[in-house]
Amino acid sequence: MYRYDEFDHRFVTERVAEFRDQVSRRLTGALNEAEFKPLRLMNGLYLQLHAYMLRVAIPYGSLDARQMRMLAHIAETWDKGYGHFTTRQNIQFNWPKLKDVPDILDALASVEMHAIQTSGNCIRNVTSDPYAGLAPEEIEDPRITAEILRQWSSLHPEFTFLGRKFKIAVTGSEHDRAAIKVHDIGLQIVKDDSGETGYRVLVGGGLGRTPMIGKVIRDFLPKADLLPYVEAVLRVYNLHGRRDNKYKARIKILVHETGIDEFRAQVEAEFTSMDRDSVAAPDDEMARIAAYFALPDLAEKPDAPVEVERMKKLDPDFAQWVTRNTYPHRVPGHVAATISLKPIGGAPGDATAEQMRAMADLAERFSADELRITHEQNVVLPHVAIGDLYKVYRGLAAIGLDAPNKGLVTDIIACPGLDYCALATARSIPVAQAVSKRFASNARQREIGPLSIKISGCINACGHHHIGHIGILGLDKAGVESYQITLGGESTEEAALGDRTGPGFGYDEVPDVVEKIVETYLAVRDGPRETFLQTYRRIGMEPFKEALYAPAH
Amino acid sequence: MAKEFKPVVVTANDLIEGDSVFLSAQGWVRDIARAHVAYDADAAQALEADGLAGETANIVIGPYLVEVLLATGHPVPVLRREQIRADGVPTIPVGLDAQPVERAAA
Amino acid sequence: MPQLIDHLGAARDIWTRLAEDAPLPGTGSAIVPLDRIEEASATGLELGVHLPNDVEPEAAAPWFERLSLISVDFPSFADGRGFSVGQRLRALGFEGRLRASGPVISDQFDYLLACGFDEVLLPDDVAERQPPEHWTAAPGRITLGYQRGRTGRGSILDARRMPHSG
Repeated sequence: MYRYDEFDHRFVTERVAEFRDQVSRRLTGALNEAEFKPLRLMNGLYLQLHAYMLRVAIPYGSLDARQMRMLAHIAETWDKGYGHFTTRQNIQFNWPKLKDVPDILDALASVEMHAIQTSGNCIRNVTSDPYAGLAPEEIEDPRITAEILRQWSSLHPEFTFLGRKFKIAVTGSEHDRAAIKVHDIGLQIVKDDSGETGYRVLVGGGLGRTPMIGKVIRDFLPKADLLPYVEAVLRVYNLHGRRDNKYKARIKILVHETGIDEFRAQVEAEFTSMDRDSVAAPDDEMARIAAYFALPDLAEKPDAPVEVERMKKLDPDFAQWVTRNTYPHRVPGHVAATISLKPIGGAPGDATAEQMRAMADLAERFSADELRITHEQNVVLPHVAIGDLYKVYRGLAAIGLDAPNKGLVTDIIACPGLDYCALATARSIPVAQAVSKRFASNARQREIGPLSIKISGCINACGHHHIGHIGILGLDKAGVESYQITLGGESTEEAALGDRTGPGFGYDEVPDVVEKIVETYLAVRDGPRETFLQTYRRIGMEPFKEALYAPAH
Repeated sequence: MAKEFKPVVVTANDLIEGDSVFLSAQGWVRDIARAHVAYDADAAQALEADGLAGETANIVIGPYLVEVLLATGHPVPVLRREQIRADGVPTIPVGLDAQPVERAAA
Repeated sequence: MPQLIDHLGAARDIWTRLAEDAPLPGTGSAIVPLDRIEEASATGLELGVHLPNDVEPEAAAPWFERLSLISVDFPSFADGRGFSVGQRLRALGFEGRLRASGPVISDQFDYLLACGFDEVLLPDDVAERQPPEHWTAAPGRITLGYQRGRTGRGSILDARRMPHSG
């Protein structure tokens, strides 16, 4: 994992002092709310329905036990004892007071964390693959690139007052777990014909009000050109992106209206004319950063230790947990284990301080002191020996986080919705809870197989509903919550935007609606191996529409 | 035809604490039941101006009018969003108060 | 009165900004609209130009030799196009004074300096709430940035490569 050097420490400390000064100038009125708002937003501080909300960056979702414990400490000291992990691999505290925020930021800085650019019209927290560094199929750890971009984008003098927010994601594997096709810039680490490592660059993807799949702007970008090229994209966007309408201000609209070929030509012109050497990260700096991400020293171990095999036979829930919640590791005898923050009936992504501490303990004992936050609002222990899995599982059971449901119907993604969010038009969390309870049976979840449900409480799509196999969008229809359903969305390298089924449904109807969709799938699928998404792609919308809207016979 | 006037209160968020507040005869308070109610358009306009004065004085942020019903004798917001906001908490138990996890049946 | 600020604090503005169709003065320092550069450059005036933030900075390039100052419009502090306009004017080789004109805030001063600006011209209401000492305190709050190739503050990436003196 990356460690701050003296310069990083000083930077973050100075940034906290600057924010402390901004808060005090706000309280005296030297800054009015219109001026303070973008300043607090670019330091992660929102004003929500009931309180301020502080979004803390977890760069590319990686953290260690000490950092997780600090999050627990913050939750207990300045909040209400819990936090919410988000689809951008961050954590949100829902109840801080403005006057306490500088102290919270000081506490974060003491463990090499911050809230810089977790909101605002600037370059946001760079996201990545939760299995970075350990996935067997990976070309290179994407966190190296993400860290270089994190540093470069931090308080960038030119790109801190953009037309709108700007999100970058990086994957090091062909199999995309970072949803790069729905980002403003998506980077995929690839090798060219000569074996040189570089990037395939996508631009103009995004969700929100006008969802779009990103387009390839460069098939191969040499690694050394990363920062100059991204800077060229940002400059063209900053100069030409629309400022007349905030809903048309993302780069996806500029790319769409300009056309990818013309946009590419503008970026290449900027890239060619700029002094690239003065912008690029020097080779030795890239190497310095890369060294931090070396795989921890793990000894090879047996793949199927007797004790674990025996427990799988004795405890079917454990067996399902091993099947569903673990992912292969490049070191034999190890896996990445997903801690589901989706207990049946729980608030997706929420964790109490006690749960955070317990996860930190498990990471220290069993996962080389590392944790990852996923864009599916779960936590990963990235380096667990298979022989330790039962101990990990029992540890999770003790804090109620042993749900064996990763990727299953109850592994629901949901934004905070109208229970917390000032922008929301409908509630998300209670809808997720009701659906989760409806499908509580592990056996039934197993039968249904991989199925992602994603719920957003407004059109801004923080719950990523467009790319859920089943997407649920909560709207306000004349003062009443109404939920639109989409089918067939997907976030990976096969990214697709879901199709709307038709008119929306009432708050209480959603569990029945999801059940009808699932029953339709089970009735028509081509055997138990055909997933929901495959079935949908094969048969299309009609049978589902029929099930949802046909008058009862 | 002019829209029928509904009684309103003025709400905002407290600058320092961030929570929802309502303008009452005693200044900004947490409890909507104590909020000053405007029963006609002129009174609403005056109330809105008082709210804005609170923002200018750096006491509150983002004042706006909220339509209320008075069937219970106290102002209750018409819209769900405003009801949730006036309650000051989510509609579900959260954090430490969240329900104990139900173990899924195998 | 609008207030001119540079890195030393309050400064006296010697420049007159000309309205669209105002007659050119006989002497002194005048900032003219882009479409009047040609006309103005034939005079003996010390010459500046005011650029809106939605024109290509290249449009001013043919006149760089003749221009002592370019004023870039910031219609609001949240409209950050001017930062890229400034950066590009410097990249194109403009070496005169670069001015940000509009209601920018002192928290942006460091960024402006790093994009090649020398000074800001503030409207009254901002100048009233943000006295010169707020502006002189702003640069250096963050001593080093991560970006390379910027005027003003130094780069952490370059500092890391320096041999330690202690």
